[in-house]
Amino acid sequence: MVSERLAAPVLGAVPGYMPARASSVAEGVDQVFAFIFWLSAFFLALIVVLTVVFVVRYRKRPSRLEPEPSPSHDLRLELLWSGIPLALVFVLFGVSTKTYSRMTTLDPGAAPLRIQVTARKWSWWFDHPGGKGAGELHLVVGRPTELVMASADVIHSLYVPDFRLKQDVVPGRFTRMTFTPVLPGTFPVVCAEFCGTDHSRMSAMATVHPDQASFDAWAREGVAPAASLVDLGKKVFLSKGCVGCHSTDGSPRVGPTLKNLWGRSEKFADGTEALVDESYVRESVLRPAARITAGFANVMPPVPLDEREIQGLCAYLQALKDGP
Amino acid sequence: MTMAATAAPLEPAAESYLQHESGIRSWLLTLDHKRIGVMYLVAIAASLFLGGVFALVLRLNLWRPGGGLVSNDAYNKLFTLHGAVMIFLFVIPGIPAALGNFVVPLQLGAKDLAFPKVNLLSFWLYVVGAVLFIAVLVAGGIDTGWTLYPPYSLEESRGLGILLALAALFVVGFSSILTGLNFIASIHKMRPPEVGWFDLPLFLWALYATGIIQVIATPVLGITAAMGFLERLFHLGIFMPEYGGDPVLFQHFFWFYSHPAVYIMILPAMGIVSEVVSVFSRKPIFGYRFIAMSSIAIAAIGFFVWGHHMFVSGQSSWTNVIFSFLTLLVAIPSAIKTFNWLATMYKGAIVLATPMIYVLAFFAIFGVGGLTGLFLGSLATDVPLHDTYFVVAHFHFVMVGAVLTAFLAGLHYWWPKMTGRMYDEALGKLSAALVFAGFHLTFVPQFFAGVAGMPRRYATYAPAFQRDNRLSTVGAFVLAVGMCIALFGLVGSLFRGRRAPPNPWGAASLEWTTPSPPAHDNFAIPPRANKPYDFSGLRFISEDSGWVRTGREGAR
Repeated sequence: MVSERLAAPVLGAVPGYMPARASSVAEGVDQVFAFIFWLSAFFLALIVVLTVVFVVRYRKRPSRLEPEPSPSHDLRLELLWSGIPLALVFVLFGVSTKTYSRMTTLDPGAAPLRIQVTARKWSWWFDHPGGKGAGELHLVVGRPTELVMASADVIHSLYVPDFRLKQDVVPGRFTRMTFTPVLPGTFPVVCAEFCGTDHSRMSAMATVHPDQASFDAWAREGVAPAASLVDLGKKVFLSKGCVGCHSTDGSPRVGPTLKNLWGRSEKFADGTEALVDESYVRESVLRPAARITAGFANVMPPVPLDEREIQGLCAYLQALKDGP
Repeated sequence: MTMAATAAPLEPAAESYLQHESGIRSWLLTLDHKRIGVMYLVAIAASLFLGGVFALVLRLNLWRPGGGLVSNDAYNKLFTLHGAVMIFLFVIPGIPAALGNFVVPLQLGAKDLAFPKVNLLSFWLYVVGAVLFIAVLVAGGIDTGWTLYPPYSLEESRGLGILLALAALFVVGFSSILTGLNFIASIHKMRPPEVGWFDLPLFLWALYATGIIQVIATPVLGITAAMGFLERLFHLGIFMPEYGGDPVLFQHFFWFYSHPAVYIMILPAMGIVSEVVSVFSRKPIFGYRFIAMSSIAIAAIGFFVWGHHMFVSGQSSWTNVIFSFLTLLVAIPSAIKTFNWLATMYKGAIVLATPMIYVLAFFAIFGVGGLTGLFLGSLATDVPLHDTYFVVAHFHFVMVGAVLTAFLAGLHYWWPKMTGRMYDEALGKLSAALVFAGFHLTFVPQFFAGVAGMPRRYATYAPAFQRDNRLSTVGAFVLAVGMCIALFGLVGSLFRGRRAPPNPWGAASLEWTTPSPPAHDNFAIPPRANKPYDFSGLRFISEDSGWVRTGREGAR
């Protein structure tokens, strides 16, 4: 790209200083950046050059004690320098928003890799499919990825400069980040929302595996079956009283069955509908009265689970689903 | 020499506002807008000094990637207080409360503001707020960032500090509301009867637009502080998820005030630039109406852009798209103003006195500050740049660079009127050069660090960012030296400065028709309305007599 070559002496003066373009949207983001950079450079140069030229030419000096006659306003000129920025704003808005829509949607292709992220002061925890939990994030080149993120305490923000992506992790709700890694390697994951003493040391590494086999080998290694999220979810299901009212075989009891619940659109007593996802599960557990499934009574008490237990429950629900 | 010239007042007024009464009580309880303005100036300068010392300690800690000068906790407390003191005690009240208080009634040709007692109350509320901020420091400080985001800021473990800080915001907010209210009422009702809206100096238009924002937006800050206070004490469940509240709601409330607050800072600065660029180009301001209307446009659009602070907070993509568009629209009135200022210099007779030098610095700095705003208003680029040093650099260009250079331009411009003394031009220009150089050395490297991915509010950082951080630290000290020289030049002039004539600059607005410093009642006889940018009848007599009107009086 031409603009990249031109900007290189400015932004990449030190090799390795600029982050790599390691996600499928990084190049698009950098193109928008370059567009705004050159637009700004033009206008800044215009302002500075006009200032300098006017000061040099029109400064007061013995040969020039009085200003020359010149108009005190000019509607056409003023409309011109209102209209040009307005037109440029429309162009910039269009270009940028188009790229942004790609940044917020999952790339089509292979089944997405879904990873549960838990942020707490001052560390990251990543639960990968297959039960492998780790303080580091593991990904596969070319495989669309969705991070479902929760915080155990305060607001954090997951930021991977090499992916050009950032998303706050907010207690009390789930937030998501979607991307597709395009470069193998390791990239820093840092916290971008101030969270206290060791905010600046709240970092982890993201390892992008060159292929699925390499990822699988890592994911299998050292996983004690009991440590998996699904097992945690099952334990919660059995020990926190859920099993008293919910079946896992498809038969309705006091409450709806949990079989095939995940991912379906649930109808409520008030006529609304919602997708059964992490946010819905969290609400149903913590504030069951908020939305009552059509055909059932409002009898479930709130169950105070922590973020990891809720994520375990979600993993268990996914395991109770037939097929993918 | 003409007849009019000999009629020029060569002697200072027999009794200026400074000599009108004496004793400490006559200052602390004064209802004179000029004395209140001077008291504000002293208080604001003290806040700037305090906030500046915090900044230098922060920069020193960042000299090495591992920090180590102070602990991480101490660093976090320092950047919190640096932000809070600079924003709430210096940048927001700076131009309106200190310079505006002094200048508004004079430019209106009035004796005082509409509500002198409310003006004094506003000053004392500011002092109470400042004392509460000092109390936060004494109570051990807070490490929440000036943005005070819950749940972090309202955690149970936090002591008295956070309650004092919320109380301080509440009180300082009222000070700001009262100042805005006073300006709105004064500009509406105290103009001479024959002076229309479009005959007002543009500084008044800017302060009018500012007043509207202060009156409408600041109550939201007070309400938010009160809710935070009650949430912390009684667990009402407004902002804290553990009690059923929503922390993102706080961000909406906070930025509904704090984004318009940026325009509370920059609009008065733009007003000063409009005055100075016209006077020192010896030409009427170009496109008066477009400049006046773009102040109002910025104030209006400014209310609908707060969501751009929350692009990665988890709010919906569609909300982000709408806020992005509205944010980018602010570029248009800003561009209009910039080009109109440049057109004012075209074919002028530009006088490079200190206020004008500072305004030239403003053009470049505001240009960078405004244009880098495009990167943050655009969604695709904001996502990676959000909460990095790019944002830190951007808002320092606008809030420090642009506002500070305009403040110093205005301070040097009106200094002869306020004190009756001319400041030292050589020191003034030296300070402007050092402030300009130091400022860029401090903040330009921060853009690079941000693009490379260094998040803000980091007590320690990756070694790759060391070069940028060291340049920035050196720059901060150059900037500090420049500020000290400005202070030295201004304060020194009180003792050594030449006596100022009523109109040292050849300006046409009404404050320059009264002696320097003005008498207690401002004008011996109500001044005749004139056109604020009509310099045609003004003639330079001498250094001691300044400029006087000859021939056609510039009257309407």
